[in-house]
Amino acid sequence: MKLDQEQIKKIFLSTLLLIALLYGYFAFLLGPLQASEKAAAAGIDTVTPQIADAKKQINRTSQLEKQAPEAVALLNNLKDTIPDGEPIAWFPPKMTDFLKSHGIDKSTTHLVSEGTDPTPGLKRMVWAIDIPKVDFVPLGVAISSLENEQPLTTILSVTIDATREDAEYQHATLTISTLVKS
Amino acid sequence: MPLHVNLYHEVQRQELARRRDPLRLGMMGLAVIAVGFVAYYFVVLEQAHVVESQYAALQDEFSRLDPKAKAAKTREDELNTEISASETLVKNIDSRFYWAPVLDQVLKTVPRTVQLTHFAAAAPTGNASVNTVEISGISSAIEPRKEAEALRTALNSRLGTQFDGVSAMFKTLDDSDEIVMLDGRRLATANFNIEIKLQAKDPSTVAAAPEPVRKSKLIAAQ
Repeated sequence: MKLDQEQIKKIFLSTLLLIALLYGYFAFLLGPLQASEKAAAAGIDTVTPQIADAKKQINRTSQLEKQAPEAVALLNNLKDTIPDGEPIAWFPPKMTDFLKSHGIDKSTTHLVSEGTDPTPGLKRMVWAIDIPKVDFVPLGVAISSLENEQPLTTILSVTIDATREDAEYQHATLTISTLVKS
Repeated sequence: MPLHVNLYHEVQRQELARRRDPLRLGMMGLAVIAVGFVAYYFVVLEQAHVVESQYAALQDEFSRLDPKAKAAKTREDELNTEISASETLVKNIDSRFYWAPVLDQVLKTVPRTVQLTHFAAAAPTGNASVNTVEISGISSAIEPRKEAEALRTALNSRLGTQFDGVSAMFKTLDDSDEIVMLDGRRLATANFNIEIKLQAKDPSTVAAAPEPVRKSKLIAAQ
């Protein structure tokens, strides 16, 4: 079978048209579609772990939210025991009353220094309590009560000296640090 | 047998040639391939649509979850700070050194023949953990140095039952010229100064019964 000139021309043109169509098909139809599918798949791969992380974070926080009230209850309770206002106004009278309740009538409390504390909302203040006349046993009881009843208070030093005037009594000085609201 | 003469053979040959026209066959083949391509395009279109709608749904979910997760993270940080502050505070409270038991033991240890004139106790500063107690006094006995030594060893052993790393050492021990009267007897005296170093017991060893330990300090002092 022999192709005539007209048929050869048709075949040539058809081949050109076919190539153009194939190029158009892959370049403008299938290509972008596959690219967008690929991009969407990559997006899914990225966003899926992000969603999982977000869900995990929300769950973790809700678990923590359940545990937190118990964990911070002590902190909040202790904070609630600290009176409002300037410590210099309430702490010395508080100590005087405390010592009086333990039979130590005369005492003076002075502020020595103040500093920061790692606990948020609190600061540490150091006080010197001078007790000019005290018996050893009531002093021991008062110190014991202070240590047991005032958890925010730490006794840094205790000095007891015999007095020359009255051998029965001693002169005591306590240095204590306490946490107050900052 | 009748004889048949095919007078249409040329027409039939032309018809056959027309049917076997390569151009026509080629066009038909191309049409089939084109239909296949179109079908494949629609398959891929459907797949892409499914994947894209999945992605859009996930993005939508993420855009809803992300602000919540960020808020949760902030809240978690706040809660962790509060919890850690609470734990630190509890740790600090638990690790306080209690001086009342020391005073109690000193009171129980000092005999009638010894008079204390000075007692100084200090908690450590910074990261140190050794507490120091300094006791000065006068011992009176036929051999006052022995009496002071007895006090030192008694303090060492008594405090050793409640504290760790207890060491009581004389800083000074001097005979004195003073004579005291005790129970109608004249006794020689010696001035002494004892330095005691002690540490709170490891919390893990006393953690089994923390409350009775604290209570006993109060009761003991009373």
